Amino acid sequence: MVATLETMVLEALSRVMDPEIPVCAITDLGLVERVEVTDDAVDVTLLPTFVGCPALDAIREDTERAVQEVAGDRDVRVAYVYDPPWTTDRVNERGREALRSFGIAPAQPLPVLQIAIPCPHCGSRATTIESEFGPTPCRTVRYCTSCRNPFEGFKPKG
Amino acid sequence: MSDPRLTLLLALADDELVMGHRLSEWTGWVPYVEEDLAMSSIAQDEMGHARALFEIAATIDGRDVDALALGRDADEYRNAVICERPNRDYAYTAARHYLYDTADAVRLEALQASTFKELVEVVGVLRLEERYHGDHARVWFERLSTGPVEARQRFAGAMSEALPEAMAIFEPLSGEDALLADGTLPRSGEDMLATWLATIGTDLEAVGLDAVLESGSEPTVGEMVPTSSGASELTDDARPLRVPGLARRDGSWVHAGEFSGAGGRQGRHSDDFPALWEEMTGLYRAHRGATW
Repeated sequence: MVATLETMVLEALSRVMDPEIPVCAITDLGLVERVEVTDDAVDVTLLPTFVGCPALDAIREDTERAVQEVAGDRDVRVAYVYDPPWTTDRVNERGREALRSFGIAPAQPLPVLQIAIPCPHCGSRATTIESEFGPTPCRTVRYCTSCRNPFEGFKPKG
Repeated sequence: MSDPRLTLLLALADDELVMGHRLSEWTGWVPYVEEDLAMSSIAQDEMGHARALFEIAATIDGRDVDALALGRDADEYRNAVICERPNRDYAYTAARHYLYDTADAVRLEALQASTFKELVEVVGVLRLEERYHGDHARVWFERLSTGPVEARQRFAGAMSEALPEAMAIFEPLSGEDALLADGTLPRSGEDMLATWLATIGTDLEAVGLDAVLESGSEPTVGEMVPTSSGASELTDDARPLRVPGLARRDGSWVHAGEFSGAGGRQGRHSDDFPALWEEMTGLYRAHRGATW
C-alpha cells in the first residue's frame, strides 16, 4: 500500500510543470530530492534551481496540490532544502529534450566549457554567448551565427 | 539580539537585501538591454540570497522572513553603508559592484568552513550563483579601467570614493569574539579584510590604478548619523566609524590601523539610508500581513 502510494506520488510529481518552462516536469529538471511516505504524511523535499527564482513558491503550491490529490487523508508537506545544491547536471535527458523543444539550449555536462552549445533551432554549433544573464535567473542569452536567431541557454550551475 | 549568530545572519542578509534593492533601481534605465537584464538579474539573485539567509535568521529570531526583511526600524538594519549609497552613475555602480562582490566572495569562502550547518548549506549554493556576479563585475572592471580617458577617470574617482566604505564591509560585528570562538565565523573581519585587500590591490595595480589605493591610505572617518531616536545602545561606539588606512608592505596592500567607532554593523547608517528604508519597507508597513 505504502509502496503503491509512493509510486502514485512520483507520478503526480511528474505532472508538475515548471511555471516558466511549462513543457518541463520538475522531476525531469531534477528538483525532487526526496519523497517520504508514512502512515499519516507525505513529505516532498525539493531543491531550488536558483535561490532568487520567483517561481519557487508557485512550484511548491503546485506540488502540494498535485500530491494532495493522491495522498488522501495524509498531510502533505513540501519543503525546499539547500543541501545538496541543485546543479544543471540534475536535468535528465527527457528534461534536456523538453528544454530544446521550448527553444532553450540545455547546459553542457559540467565541468565542460560551455562553448559550442548547439542551437535549439537548427542544431548548429556555431553559437556565441551574448550575455550570461537572461530573462530569468536560470537562463543566458546566446546567438546562432548559422540561422541568425538569438536563443536562450540554461545557465550552467555546479 | 542576544544570539550572535543572528547578528551575523542579519549583517549578511541586510547587505544582500539593500544591495539588491539599490541595483533593482537600474531596471529599465540601463543604456542597453543586455546590461539591463544583467543588472536586474543580479538584483533578483541578491534578493533571493537575502531571503535564504532571513529564513535561517527567522528560526532564531522568531519573526517571519517578511517581518525581518521589511518590518524592522531603520536602525535595526545591519548592512554596511556602502550598500545603501545611491547608484549615481555607472562608474560608481560598477566600482561598488566589483568591490562588494570581491569582498562577498572572500566572506562566503570563509563561511564555507563554518560550524553553523544551516548557514554552510546556503553558502554553498550562494557561491555557485555569485560566481556569475563576480564575472560580470570583472568585465566592467576591465572595460572601464582600460577604457577611454573619461571612463577610466570616472571609474578611478568612483573607486576612490567607494574603497574606504567597502572596507567597512569587514567592520567587526558585535559578538564577533563569540562567533570566532565557536567556529560560526571561521575568520575575523580583520583577517578577511587583509585577504580582500591583497586581491583588489593586485587587480588595481595591474591596470595602473594604484592612485585609488593611495586614496585609502588615510583613515576615513564616516559621516554617519544614527537613523532614529538614538535610543539604541551605542556605548563607546557613539563615534562614527573610523576605517583603517592602507599601506604597501612587502609587495602587497595591507590595512594600517584598526576599526574604531560604529557604522552599519551597529545600525549606524548614512543619511542616504532613511529614504531607501522608507521606499523599501513602505508597502509592508502600510499593509502588514497582505498577501498576493
